[in-house]
Amino acid sequence: MLEWSTAGPAVGAAFLASIVEVVEAFTIVLVVATLRGWKPAMLGTGAALFVLAAIVVILGPLLDQVPLHLLQLVIGVLLLLFGIGWLRKAALRAGGVIPLHDEDAIFAKETAGLTAEVERRQTSQDWIAGIAAFKAVLLEGLEVIFIVIAVGAGRGMLWPASLGALAACALVLLVGVIAHRPLARVPENTLKFGVGVMLSAFGVFWTGEGLGVDWPGQDLALFVFAALFLVAGLTAARIVRKPIEVTV
Amino acid sequence: MNILKDVFSELFSMFVADARLTATILATVGLAAVLIDATSLPPLAGGLVLLLGCIAVLFLSVRREAKRRASPKSGSY
Repeated sequence: MLEWSTAGPAVGAAFLASIVEVVEAFTIVLVVATLRGWKPAMLGTGAALFVLAAIVVILGPLLDQVPLHLLQLVIGVLLLLFGIGWLRKAALRAGGVIPLHDEDAIFAKETAGLTAEVERRQTSQDWIAGIAAFKAVLLEGLEVIFIVIAVGAGRGMLWPASLGALAACALVLLVGVIAHRPLARVPENTLKFGVGVMLSAFGVFWTGEGLGVDWPGQDLALFVFAALFLVAGLTAARIVRKPIEVTV
Repeated sequence: MNILKDVFSELFSMFVADARLTATILATVGLAAVLIDATSLPPLAGGLVLLLGCIAVLFLSVRREAKRRASPKSGSY
């Protein structure tokens, strides 16, 4: 039976991270649907989901062949690289150093880009639009797959993490279909901050376990790590918000 | 081929968004591994170095990037 302290962080991290990625993919699919109709948007999305499913079916069973400590170490290091990268960017955005992610602006930019591409190329316009949807869903979907594997594989939590990601997809699709516009009101940087904190905490946890560290409190250590990363990220954002004096 | 190129480029940028950040995280993991495997210290000491090292790397990386962008020499991107 699953324990909440073990499954909760995996499901939560997969759910929140997937919301961020699916919102980004949804914006591009909506651009395609708005410009060329739902047919190329759905064909591109369906083809990408098929490729993603094939990747999971082919690579999934290979995970069982990898020794657990090696799997934890490799995934832990990748999570550290990915999670701290997200947290750094979210802290810089929260501190006003780099601009916030704006789905409305991305929608306008992608619309202009796709319109120009369709005018420039001689091939079928629906084909170009479908490829745009395909690429967006494939690229964001790869990140979702990595996150699900990363937070789920170390402790046999792949199914709960997958359910978290699927719930996020369903939620974004539902809200997107109802709103029928870019989901600009999703607090993306707050989500990214939270996910960066959780992925970094998982990264330290798995890397440590992979190296042979027996963390006190077992899975509960994850919450302590997350709290420390949260405080560090918020403090860093607050510090960079002030003007920095350059000493000569 | 463009799609494949984009896929690999996306995968690369997922983990190597900033070369210096990547290098310092890997160095921190390496230091923790040496402490755990090659010294008589308890493994938890290496784990603490890993945890505190990663937090320090995050903190310093955010400050460095903010300073870099505030500097008149750097162009924003």
